[in-house]
Amino acid sequence: MDLIPSSDQKALVDATIDWCRDNLPLEQARSRPIGLWSELDAMGWLAMTTQDVGFDHASEVLVFAELGKSLAPVSMLSTAVAARWTGDRRKTALFFVDGNKMRALDVDQSERALGLFESRAVIAALPGGIEATPGLDLSAPLAVIDPALPFEPIDNPQAALHLQLLGAAFAVGCAEAARDMAAEYALVREQFGRPIGWFQALKHLCADMAVRCAMARSQLFYAACALDAGDSGVAFHLAAAKRLADQAALENGRGNIQVHGAVGITDAATPHLCLKRAHMLGFLAPPAMDILLGEAA
Amino acid sequence: MNIVSSPEEKRFRAECRDWLAANIPSERRPLDATDAVAFDKAWQRCLFDAGWAGINWPIAYGGRGLSLIEQVIWLEEYARAGAPWIGANFVGINHGGPTLILNASDEQKAYHLPRILKGEAIWCQGFSEPDAGSDLAGIRTSARIDGDMLVINGSKIWTSFAHVADWQELILRTEAGSRRHAGLSWVICDMNTPGIEVHPIRKMSGQFEFAQIFYDDVRIPLANAVGGIGNGWKVAMSTLNFERGTGFIADQVKLGLEVEALVSKARASGAIRDECIADQLAQSRAEVAALRAMTYRNVSEVARNGQPGAEASVIRLFTAELGQRLDRLGVLLAGQDILDFRYGDDTLVSDYLRGFAGTIAGGSSQIQRDIIGERILNLPKSR
Repeated sequence: MDLIPSSDQKALVDATIDWCRDNLPLEQARSRPIGLWSELDAMGWLAMTTQDVGFDHASEVLVFAELGKSLAPVSMLSTAVAARWTGDRRKTALFFVDGNKMRALDVDQSERALGLFESRAVIAALPGGIEATPGLDLSAPLAVIDPALPFEPIDNPQAALHLQLLGAAFAVGCAEAARDMAAEYALVREQFGRPIGWFQALKHLCADMAVRCAMARSQLFYAACALDAGDSGVAFHLAAAKRLADQAALENGRGNIQVHGAVGITDAATPHLCLKRAHMLGFLAPPAMDILLGEAA
Repeated sequence: MNIVSSPEEKRFRAECRDWLAANIPSERRPLDATDAVAFDKAWQRCLFDAGWAGINWPIAYGGRGLSLIEQVIWLEEYARAGAPWIGANFVGINHGGPTLILNASDEQKAYHLPRILKGEAIWCQGFSEPDAGSDLAGIRTSARIDGDMLVINGSKIWTSFAHVADWQELILRTEAGSRRHAGLSWVICDMNTPGIEVHPIRKMSGQFEFAQIFYDDVRIPLANAVGGIGNGWKVAMSTLNFERGTGFIADQVKLGLEVEALVSKARASGAIRDECIADQLAQSRAEVAALRAMTYRNVSEVARNGQPGAEASVIRLFTAELGQRLDRLGVLLAGQDILDFRYGDDTLVSDYLRGFAGTIAGGSSQIQRDIIGERILNLPKSR
């Protein structure tokens, strides 16, 4: 039993943080530069858990939480899962099924997309010429496809769990980004002659963000290790991780805007990017109630 | 990172489980305060005789000297087995004893620690005062040095187990005119000393579980000061490092059992078909799991670096608040039956009413949030 990163894992996290700072600033999430994808691919993150690379899920979530903090492209999740369970490492967009429709995100340069259907991971081939335009989450250009394209299941139930895990890691990162943004602003913004973070009303709002992050990140670690260990409670632990991560991302996204005041509701400021990302991630492998309430973990 | 137990850990867990299964008393902890104390003492002695008291206390003073991981395993199994609440031994085992281990003289340790571990000496805490609650540094109860004696005057309040305690860990202002954290001393006070008067206070749950204590020229030996006169604040704070975030493990396992009981109850009554109830239960289950994961993180941190991370303060806050949410959910599921509650009952209603202390005692949730904001997020200190 050991739930903190090893020194190797810490080094991996530090390298990810450094790279993200230089190459993946959060402010750019509304429009990422062309060519970013090949750089992300070159870093090896999209295929970390494939058999020939061989990292465990615990290391993977450490990296993906950092990427999530930069609001990295959401197709990193679908691509990593597709690479692990189909062996095909090409860029794979993400899709959500909604009745007869589907919403494909981040379809640029993708010939296929991955999503969940009836808690199985499925792959759809994307025809050429799909038109994607900015949606709620500006970082992930959206194509609404009606009726939905046909899709084929990935022949392994682990794939869906993997997607839920990485989605939770991105949501934890998103929640932490909002927390850090709020705390930083609470230190520099002054009213009544002091930093607003001095006032308990604001300090406690920020403290609650830290609490949500700590809980969500802890459960994320546990779920990743449960997946690595083939633990019998893995489905529950993943569902719990995703639920708490989604909540943390959404509530912190909202709290961060409140801390920023009027600035927070402008387009030019960045808090809304976290909020919008949180709403989007909420539709990615949402935890099933019967699993959360099922057999005791 | 991994969640796999080592063979030694598995063996130790099995050892704990077997002993507990064979030795847990079959009768419930009595409601009557005097009977309850006798029960607590007998159970503590039983733990001591079998070598389960003070798992992480030094061997020299009757402890087992085991690692934090083993302490965690023991506490988990203890709670899972439904072993009795530590009761009147709470302050001695969880607070006074650890403080002595870290700060007391060899003589003080040799006298007090074995007595605490054996359940022979009941301790209570004398920190809060009528005008020093969250702002503990506002302590006014004073002690004047008179030769080799301390002469105490003033009052302490919200003292649990005061009416049954043999000893008290007492923080006093030993330097006249000193302010805030300076000039305080942590002393061992014999509760049978003349001049001490205990006035029990009834809780809204009906029980007399705490008291106000008055000191009128109470004379205790100067040699009872721990860690030196004037170092009281430092001594009091050091206790937190001994516990290192494990103080709530038994509570957390209990919360897990409570959630499962609520889920079963809601299933049996059909209340689980109510989406709002189902959602609260699902949320509670996820939170209990996360709390456990966070405790493991904290324990891993201590095992690796010798001290807990800053997030240990989150564990404390979250445990208390989750406990209250579960109590409240229990009351919601119980429906009108709660109206039948009478003083003297030991039911989920008394648990609910007593549970309000969780976010107040030993540092309110508001103070905890200040600490989290200041120590984790580096926001400016408000106090």
